[in-house]
Amino acid sequence: MDYGYYPGCSLTGSARKLDKGVREIFRKLGHSLNEIPDWNCCGALEYGDRSELTRLSRENLKKAEGMCSEIVAPCPACYKNLKEANSGNQFAILHPLELFEKDIMGSLNVKRDLKGKVFTPYYGCVLLRPEETSIRNRNVMEELITFFGGEIEGEKIKDRCCGGNQFFVNKWATERLSTLILEKSKGIMVVFCPLCHMALKTFSKDRKIIYLTDLVLYIMGENNVI
Amino acid sequence: MLNVIEYEKVIELAGYKREDFSVCLGCKICASVCTVNDLSIDMNPQELLSSLFLGNTIEKDNPLVRYCTNCYRCTSACPWKIRIPEVVRALRESLSVASPFEKAFKGSIDIWGRVYEPYVFLKAVPFLLKEGYIKYMARWTGYISVHLPHKVKRI
Repeated sequence: MDYGYYPGCSLTGSARKLDKGVREIFRKLGHSLNEIPDWNCCGALEYGDRSELTRLSRENLKKAEGMCSEIVAPCPACYKNLKEANSGNQFAILHPLELFEKDIMGSLNVKRDLKGKVFTPYYGCVLLRPEETSIRNRNVMEELITFFGGEIEGEKIKDRCCGGNQFFVNKWATERLSTLILEKSKGIMVVFCPLCHMALKTFSKDRKIIYLTDLVLYIMGENNVI
Repeated sequence: MLNVIEYEKVIELAGYKREDFSVCLGCKICASVCTVNDLSIDMNPQELLSSLFLGNTIEKDNPLVRYCTNCYRCTSACPWKIRIPEVVRALRESLSVASPFEKAFKGSIDIWGRVYEPYVFLKAVPFLLKEGYIKYMARWTGYISVHLPHKVKRI
């Protein structure tokens, strides 16, 4: 299947690892990702002017016209903004998590299982809220981890806020919020948001914070360590 | 501090009309779920909406203006799904409270159409040094990559 691909700014910068992982897994699943030419920033969560924010993402949708009908956007903020700009439902805006459902994962070449390993799936805010732009299956990471033999322990903190948005404004606020999440969780933290990854990693001492793509690549025998 | 006419602009920037806030039931469920509670800060999103509706004073150091994390917990809980984080963002823009990092972020989009992280970082160096971010550098090494900015984009 051919998809349009909108990596967004962070996946071409600090979250290149996530970009690489998404591309690799899609390739293994037999899908092709065609990057939208000349795409621009979606505006993230920075713009106070809502019409400006929507305009930026609408520009991206214009650039995708004629090349695809389904766009994959891995960054949660990009995914949200593209969905909001897609008012006439001209495109289907998809998050990789929506395509990593159990039936698709069943077709992967699994080389390792996760027996005995404890994980905490952490979605953060933007993937789960607001509801009209959230991912459909709100337990997809849990389902994937348990499907491959991993265990989930700790409190339900998957939709708490890590404070990543406040990182470069009031870092103490981010430290406090991220620390709360780290304290209430157990094992390896599995995330899909570049901002959550950075916030949690900055304030964790010895915890492993990985992208879900790292975990999937590990199961497939690509990554030797997680 | 903004006057009442400027509040109309804030509400418009957030994509609302003043009368949209008249549906607020005053149930304060937004206050009970707000992430800012975890920072032990006394705040109330419902009061912010009331202030905008009635034209009461909202200062730059209002806890929500300063600490809202855009988590949308309030929106999820609100019976009317009022998007308070977007109201806060509009208010932040009108009160000009963006940090040097946020200014550099938008500056990068103005120049390249995308965020070029090395530029944002360099532009914000005085701020990062002053605020003590430098101690996290060792943990950020995995994120740092040297690359050229993407060509100028039309937006």
